[in-house]
Amino acid sequence: MASSYHKKVLGNGLTVLGETNSSNVSCAIGYFVRTGARDETAAESGVSHFLEHMMFKGTPSRSALEINLELGNLGAQANAFTSEENTVYYASVIPESFRAMQELLSDMLRPSLDPGEFDMEKKVILEEIALYQDRPHFYLFENALKDYFGKHGAGNSVLGSHESVSAITQPQMVDYFRRRYSPSNMVLCATGNFNWDQFVADAERLTASWTDESTSRMLLRHSGKTSNVRYQKKNLNQCHAFLVSEGPSAQDPERYPLAILATIMGDSGGSRMYWELIDRGLAESASVDSDERDGCGCFTAYVSTTADKLDEVVKIARDILASPKNFSDGDLDRAKAKVVSRIVLDGELPMGRLMALGMEWQYRKESTPLRAIIERIQAISRSDIEKALARFPLDTWAEYRLLPS
Amino acid sequence: MTIVQTQLPSGLSVIIEEMDHVESAAYDLVMPGGFISDAPAHVGASLVLSELIAKGAGPYDSRSLSEAFDGAGIRHGEGTGMDRFTLSGSLVASKLERALELVSHMVLNPRLPAEDIEPIQSILLQDIQALKDSPARRSMVELTKRFYPAPYNRSSLGDAEGIRSVNRALMAEMHQKFFNPCGAILSVAGKVRAHDVLRVVEELFGGWKGEAVVLPEFGSRPAHDYYHIADDSAQMQVVMAIPSVKFSEDLYYEGKLAASILGASMFGRLFVELREKRGLCYSVYARHGATNLYGTMTAYVGTTPERAQESLDLLVGEFERLRGTISQDELDRCRTNLKASLVMGEESPGARAGSNATDWWLLRRIRTLAEINAEIDRVSIEGLNTFLERHPFRPCSILTLGRTPLSVPSTIIGK
Repeated sequence: MASSYHKKVLGNGLTVLGETNSSNVSCAIGYFVRTGARDETAAESGVSHFLEHMMFKGTPSRSALEINLELGNLGAQANAFTSEENTVYYASVIPESFRAMQELLSDMLRPSLDPGEFDMEKKVILEEIALYQDRPHFYLFENALKDYFGKHGAGNSVLGSHESVSAITQPQMVDYFRRRYSPSNMVLCATGNFNWDQFVADAERLTASWTDESTSRMLLRHSGKTSNVRYQKKNLNQCHAFLVSEGPSAQDPERYPLAILATIMGDSGGSRMYWELIDRGLAESASVDSDERDGCGCFTAYVSTTADKLDEVVKIARDILASPKNFSDGDLDRAKAKVVSRIVLDGELPMGRLMALGMEWQYRKESTPLRAIIERIQAISRSDIEKALARFPLDTWAEYRLLPS
Repeated sequence: MTIVQTQLPSGLSVIIEEMDHVESAAYDLVMPGGFISDAPAHVGASLVLSELIAKGAGPYDSRSLSEAFDGAGIRHGEGTGMDRFTLSGSLVASKLERALELVSHMVLNPRLPAEDIEPIQSILLQDIQALKDSPARRSMVELTKRFYPAPYNRSSLGDAEGIRSVNRALMAEMHQKFFNPCGAILSVAGKVRAHDVLRVVEELFGGWKGEAVVLPEFGSRPAHDYYHIADDSAQMQVVMAIPSVKFSEDLYYEGKLAASILGASMFGRLFVELREKRGLCYSVYARHGATNLYGTMTAYVGTTPERAQESLDLLVGEFERLRGTISQDELDRCRTNLKASLVMGEESPGARAGSNATDWWLLRRIRTLAEINAEIDRVSIEGLNTFLERHPFRPCSILTLGRTPLSVPSTIIGK
């Protein structure tokens, strides 16, 4: 595939990135904002996600209904998400709709934050909080990471609680928006079949009135901790356990070997967790992930099983986690083959490339061609993993369980 | 774009789409059967079978088969659907021959090791148990159970007793019966050359033999009703099902577009009225699904208990209001959306292999994008109203899962 990479920083501080590929049938476009739950004060808990919803609720030139109808008229597959450290607005469109989509998204990113719409959308957010209360594993992950990262903030709740969201006021949101949605804290990114020069010229015109404010994020180091917490939920049928240790950050070079190690230990098929827990019929789910964040990271394991098997399953999972060097050369080669294949397949679609490109910029202010990433993964050796383990020994674990009350 | 279609003497249909703008490839092998074909005493046995074929096949034991897939970076899945077994995979195109070789072993010569049955049963039983922790999914399973005639009303998770009843002899018998080339479809798409793929397929699947599987008839539906299941979940689940047009019928695209006018996310009437204007819910939608045997319009809203009655009343009200009130703008918007999603779906080999297999399953031919677009363009407001007249919203079936039952007028459920 012949793709070419472009970058420009506009006068207002907005970074514009693109990877054009004329053989794609579609294109993808998105604004990546470097803000999320970890950038909130306790009194603002949930505001990043609430604000993400409000971006669809009207601008000085469009009502909420007009935004929704226009997204429909463009045939756009559009959405947004908020995490602990990123808020992303994105859409896939056919090339004929690209410029109109860019205009619409850019307008949406300067919202009215109308008080009436604010009150109405708050009800939707409270429904969303209720929806996630009915998803036990989500409840566990959220509470566990909040405990693990504590005051550091990287594990702050994205949704916030019923109480915190109920208490957020419209002026608080306006203030948060002003502080965080500064052009220099965002990147506009596009991939696929679109015209780069036109894209940049349009970006300059559409964001000409955006003024820059300086933004920052607290980037403290976070060391792992031990913890043993039990949560309870009424009438729960399956039990869940989640283990967390210190892992590499999104900027740390050790993230490559440790991502391969996580695949060896806990990929959905063919991993050590799979053979020891799922293939033996002990656990319904078992996985290991390297969760790399801004300036910090965690290495996690998750299992779900019945109450009578939970102790045995957690013990086996812990044994696997306690022997991270216990893998063969074949295990290493297969893990690398799986990861490379995933990167190639995801990279084929404009939306896959958009997410990779935008996130890489947010975390590392760089853009690595697919080929270079693949080569880097293929070069990982046993000694690279051992070297990474010397810095992240995975010997201190915080354990969280969700059990029936 | 070139699509080659052929049928091997064994009855296996082979469809290959050459895509030049990608580096990857994907396959879908579909065989008639699925969980509606399970014997009444063994409901869910088909789920065990699709897991068991991956536990060793031909020269490979369980571990070496898994390692062979992983070593080639092949993302693969073997599963049981309602009326079919599906083996699918995505890979870098140069690994296609390797993938098809592994698939042919699983389909033709699975070892079906007896010692792997018990662990598979254990996981499937855990899945059934976990359903109770997932109210939204459970509400759909419970409505399906009551809305469709047997065996089309079965849960996609099987039933515990049926899963427990499985033994090695049953697996061998079911493999013999269902894993056969008559009616099976192998669909491949991606950066491949059709004649190369065909040569490999003939080599690997040439000796495959078997007799056609007859799927159960779709009998008459049970009478409509309102059902409530008590559950202390934070949200109340409200689901509704209405009989609709089959895939093979004339008004199929009218049904699909009517569902989109009501239920599309962001701009559908339900989203606008329930979520945007009143903030009643996070998730609300309507969908249209159809096979050659039946079609169904489904609607869903999840909301907290104290707002559930208002949500249900509005949901019902929007269905009642639809006929005679659709504007040209609404139709055009839904049309544009459907067409754009089809164009974007052309892009990935996995999507192409899947949609070619589905076309062949339903029509025994592959439709071009132009043909589908022409069908969508043909839909008029008059046609939508005809559809709504012939497939009225009343009577329908409604199920709620949550703390307290709601009030449902008997006229809606036809009582």
